[in-house]
Amino acid sequence: MTWTSAAPDGRADALITSFERAGYVRVAPAILQPAEPFLDLSGEDIRKRMYLTTDPQGRELCLRPDLTIPVSRDYLASPAAGAPQALCYLGPVFRHRAEGAAEFLQAGIESFGRSDKAAADAEMLALGLEATAHYGLGAPDIRMGDVALFSALIAALDLAPAWKRRLIKDFNHKTSLVQDLDRLAISASHARPEYQGVLAALAGSDPDAAHALVTDLLSIAGITAVGGRSVDEIADRFLEQSALGAQISLPRETRALIEKFLAIGGDPDEAAADLRAFAREANIALDATLDLFESRTGFLAARGVDVGRIRFSTAFGRGLDYYTGFVFELYDPSAQSAGQLVAGGRYDGLLTRLGSASAISAVGFAVWIERLAQRRGTP
Amino acid sequence: MITPFVIAVPAKGRLQQNAEAFFARTGLELVKPRGVRDYRGAITDLPGVEVAYLSAAEIVDLLAQGVVHFGVTGEDLVREKIADADQHVILIDGLGFGHANVVVAVPQAWIDVHSMADLDDVATAFRLKHERKMRLATKYVNLTRNFFSAHGITDYRIVESAGATEGAPAAGTAELIVDITTTGTTLAANGLRVIEDGVILRSQANLVAARAANWGAEEREIARIVLDRIASQTRARAFREVRTRFAGCDAALLAEAKERFGVETPFGGPTSSGMLTLHCPPKHVHALATRLREKGAENVVVADLGYVFSRANPLYAKLEAGLA
Repeated sequence: MTWTSAAPDGRADALITSFERAGYVRVAPAILQPAEPFLDLSGEDIRKRMYLTTDPQGRELCLRPDLTIPVSRDYLASPAAGAPQALCYLGPVFRHRAEGAAEFLQAGIESFGRSDKAAADAEMLALGLEATAHYGLGAPDIRMGDVALFSALIAALDLAPAWKRRLIKDFNHKTSLVQDLDRLAISASHARPEYQGVLAALAGSDPDAAHALVTDLLSIAGITAVGGRSVDEIADRFLEQSALGAQISLPRETRALIEKFLAIGGDPDEAAADLRAFAREANIALDATLDLFESRTGFLAARGVDVGRIRFSTAFGRGLDYYTGFVFELYDPSAQSAGQLVAGGRYDGLLTRLGSASAISAVGFAVWIERLAQRRGTP
Repeated sequence: MITPFVIAVPAKGRLQQNAEAFFARTGLELVKPRGVRDYRGAITDLPGVEVAYLSAAEIVDLLAQGVVHFGVTGEDLVREKIADADQHVILIDGLGFGHANVVVAVPQAWIDVHSMADLDDVATAFRLKHERKMRLATKYVNLTRNFFSAHGITDYRIVESAGATEGAPAAGTAELIVDITTTGTTLAANGLRVIEDGVILRSQANLVAARAANWGAEEREIARIVLDRIASQTRARAFREVRTRFAGCDAALLAEAKERFGVETPFGGPTSSGMLTLHCPPKHVHALATRLREKGAENVVVADLGYVFSRANPLYAKLEAGLA
């Protein structure tokens, strides 16, 4: 094992200087961070990749595994919280990895509080492309998605709430939802004879009646509710299950519709046209989301990005549930397996989840400095 | 320097008593020549073996590092503490004690939650409603993460718990738990219930071999002797010896006995005079004895077995295969 520290080379310094010239203020969050926000936002799977420690008070700390959350927390704690702020960073992050050093460099940008979302999205991709160009890669593969499209589709569908939750969750966490649609089924109390009576009693009843019934059931069984979920939550879920009816597996026509949606892709202009046609045919309102989508494409073209080279896919997500809209990744065309060189997107929900009382728009990206610097064929 | 063959054994409590009793039954008597407070011991008639008395958790660490050759410890600890456990250790055999299940348990009041699929749905609904994830208290962080990941559950947070995990939901520090249970009584006393498909691991004390230990010819020979004795005793405990002699004892009857009672024939079929020795699982002994008398046996003699030594040594074969 080597213990060379991840010292920035001259090119990384020049990259961050170019971000500063573009109006981004350089910040340097603490390397030692509370572990809680990472585990809460990125999921327990990140735990096995994190360097965790405990302080004398027993609080879990970690060496930062990324910089988006630390930059966001510092911004929220600053007087500027809520106001537009354009920030950039360059520094080490720490993750257990099967290959490569556990300490490696990331540069990046986080842009908070901008209301001109389409322009801000486009600026991120344009700056990301400048970052690869800075390392001699002028034409990386550009993969792009828009999480908001899938959310809008699901919101517009006539589906039980349990199904909507399930589909959004799976879209955010699986790379191949399409392959999973066939096997998707929801656990339903209908399959259980012992609950048919309860569900029949609940059919068509209101939340108060459901609450009373669950309270009675618990008291008959001599169970006291402990912590966590309230009687109301349990009653609500029984009501949901009662309303779920025959939708234990995804209705065939809904599945077909989702599959058709997830097959749409191409360059952003083609995709937008296809999505408009899809929405018209299925009679689903995607207008607001598509307007933003097309406006973004316009800003990309205005920034000189060759829009025809972008590979957009409705099925593309980044596996993290805090992304809420535009997402993108840049790859070396001759070394796809090396992983993304630049990656980012819009995460309008993140700052609320970090404790902000009001919603604050946010978009940004990270640059994998070592991957760019070690690209074969670069000096 | 001659490094001894080290067997690590739990240093205290029921596990130690059970482990010592287990080795004693196999004819391997663990002794502490320098007094009972000593944490190093030996085996009476097997020179070259050192017995190290350690905590169950330490035993797992030393097995992973290959500092000891064999260890007696719970499978739950092995799977929790060693990433890719099968790459580092060989679980040679369950020892028949220290049984406990690692389970997912939720408050009894969650009468709408029966399966892991229910839990998945409830977890996501909980996050959306409370804007935080459900907390799960456990000391089995890795077992939990792998099990939940396999069920596609992402909306939960682990709260590490050092002890009294089952009290966490009542104390309000977690919504649900993953913990070890033998009878479920403690869970019930704390208002908790095991989810139907929420058994992560059925654990018991195992004899575990360390892949990274030094496995020269001498070490393998000691391992072969130890495993031969264990296998002979395991086999002996699994069967009773049934002997009889009568004229009607033929191949057809033998085939029937194998089919119905799971008997084995250590010395082959009946002799020309109808003399037969069978090894029969204890639960079928009476039915077998009845059947043999129906077919004409005057007497059927059943006895406990001390040891059954076979040419084949399945436990050693497992070790060899694992080390290859």
